[in-house]
Amino acid sequence: MTAQIPVTVLTGYLGAGKTTLLNRVLSENHGKKFAVIVNEFGEIGIDSDLVVGADEEVFEMNNGCICCTVRGDLIRIIGGLLKRKGTFDAILVETTGLADPAPVAQTFFADEEVKKRTKLDSVLTVVDAKHVMQRLEDSPEAADQIAFADVLLLNKVDAVTADELAIVERKLRALNPFAKIHKTQRCEIGLDKILDQGSFDLQRIIEIKPEFLGDDHDHHHHGHDHDHGHDHHDHNEMKHYHDEDMDSVSLSSTKPLNPGKFDSWINDVLMSKGPTILRAKGILNLADADNRYVFQAVHMMSEGAFAGPWPVKDKRNSRMVFIGRDLDAEALKQGFTACQMA
Amino acid sequence: MSAGAPLVESKGLSWSLDAYVIGAAATPDSRYFVCSLGDGTVRVLDLTDAAKGFTAYQIHKGGSLCFAPDIEAGSHLSGGDDGKLVKVKLDGSTQIIADLGRKWIEYVTSHPDAGFRAYASGRDAYVLGKKKGDEPRKITLETSVGGLAINPKGKRIAIAHYNAVNLYWLAAKDGQPQVLPWKGSHLQTTWSPDGDYVVTAMQENALHGWRLSDGQHFRMQGYAAKIRAMSFPKRGHLLATGGADTVICWPFTGGGPMGKEPSEFGGMVNGPPVTAVLAHPKLDAIAAGFENGKVIVGQPGTTRVMPIVTPAKDKEPSAVSVLAWTPDGDRLLAGTEAGDVHVVDFRSLA
Repeated sequence: MTAQIPVTVLTGYLGAGKTTLLNRVLSENHGKKFAVIVNEFGEIGIDSDLVVGADEEVFEMNNGCICCTVRGDLIRIIGGLLKRKGTFDAILVETTGLADPAPVAQTFFADEEVKKRTKLDSVLTVVDAKHVMQRLEDSPEAADQIAFADVLLLNKVDAVTADELAIVERKLRALNPFAKIHKTQRCEIGLDKILDQGSFDLQRIIEIKPEFLGDDHDHHHHGHDHDHGHDHHDHNEMKHYHDEDMDSVSLSSTKPLNPGKFDSWINDVLMSKGPTILRAKGILNLADADNRYVFQAVHMMSEGAFAGPWPVKDKRNSRMVFIGRDLDAEALKQGFTACQMA
Repeated sequence: MSAGAPLVESKGLSWSLDAYVIGAAATPDSRYFVCSLGDGTVRVLDLTDAAKGFTAYQIHKGGSLCFAPDIEAGSHLSGGDDGKLVKVKLDGSTQIIADLGRKWIEYVTSHPDAGFRAYASGRDAYVLGKKKGDEPRKITLETSVGGLAINPKGKRIAIAHYNAVNLYWLAAKDGQPQVLPWKGSHLQTTWSPDGDYVVTAMQENALHGWRLSDGQHFRMQGYAAKIRAMSFPKRGHLLATGGADTVICWPFTGGGPMGKEPSEFGGMVNGPPVTAVLAHPKLDAIAAGFENGKVIVGQPGTTRVMPIVTPAKDKEPSAVSVLAWTPDGDRLLAGTEAGDVHVVDFRSLA
């Protein structure tokens, strides 16, 4: 098989620092040549024939199901890039500040040619520490972009106090328990920490730490795993900033899961709630299996596979995270619990 | 049934050009094959001395994206990701027809007899006549262009985009299009030889067609893969398509394909999909290329298939991206995504 070209999707609200990061990726000597797909050339300082303008054309496949919403322009552009064999090693797709990242990500699963030749590496969201709380109040896209991310670059940390930063970080964690968070000024970070992450690679989901996997983790940061509905009396300090509907639900179980029950439950959840679930990831202990079963979903599209043995043989905790809008935490918890072996 | 050694071994020549073959065409006198490649070159093969191989001319700074014969016999049009549409003569001399800067030129087509060229970039399509000093007519669509096709008479152009195909009169300077709506993303577009049908391949694995004479439209589906190629033979009695593990041929006689079953030939069940098809310019034969590099020529309605190229055993298989016949029908060119090019001579078989 031809090697698949990794694709990083770069999102973030206007002014968060995406262009700064783009210019670094284009100018720094990191040994990789990137084709960069931008929504406008604007501030891009590099005039390269590998910088391509896109139209952000979102369209529906298969009768308009939200999960089949893709970026038509990306299919075309990537098709064109792939004809120029060997002139680049990776692709970076920048979205506008107002973009929903899901159609971008779904493009890499929905179009068979794109899927065959490229692989979505990760969704990287740049967040402006100073303004993100305001953005979360006034624009739903800001929550989408954070919730969808695999890597969050919490930028401009020098513009806020330590206390403010702690509040922002907690907020990001509540919206997205599995993303890696890096704190930066002017997007200064080793590019190896944000590129080539393999976030959609099932075999690498097990590397996600610590919030998602940490065994001694305090789940009370997570928002709804200990509670239900949308009652936020227990974290008053965040109430003011709360995004009204975006949330995450973390589930865990020390008992092995019945594979058949889990399969039918998760299919049912994704079929009925897929449109409101942005991302889901899980590392699961299925009964009678020696290895960890890893699972991920973007809206209704999901995949799962076994991925290596448990690190500590006797400690097999299943963990699962859902990120989405209007999640029914109690129903998810009950459904998950019902998958446990008696 | 297919049998025997592939024809390319006894009656053909093969080259490794090492870049994606984007497009190919023969000159009207059947003397030259001209290809454009993903490395931004245009390559010319003189069939009177084919053993000498292709001569390469670097046309674009980046890669080529589209290719078509020009309205001037012997010249070709190459569009690239450097924003340029370039007219290339057989000796490699060039003339820039359009320069759109940082925008890509993604589609090009022409009608030599009618003297029109058309090209597209993003949402903008351009129609250019043959008179010197003519400015192109710019047509901006609501969504990006997915395909261009001029009708056989050279009077109208079909521009496929999202949720519709728009038809424009080529000679008109302005005017509203006739819109053929159907939900979804329409890509490659073709006209039946009588000009009554417009058919598009869609983002989904399906075709959509319209009959202009009475406004009927129809959907043809059941494909396993994206339909990257379709071709009407000159008689227009069927439409041969890729996208399945055999060549699927829809009947276009007696009222069109509505409610009818397609016939099929070549390939094998659950084998690699057909990625290129091209009807012979004179005979009822159709050339087809597959995802694994195999090329055959077959006849719809029969099981007779002539093997032309078999998949390479010593390297990774690569999909057939392009087929071209010389107008006299004597020679066939097949090009792959990896840059393998085969030219086969049928003359001694006649």
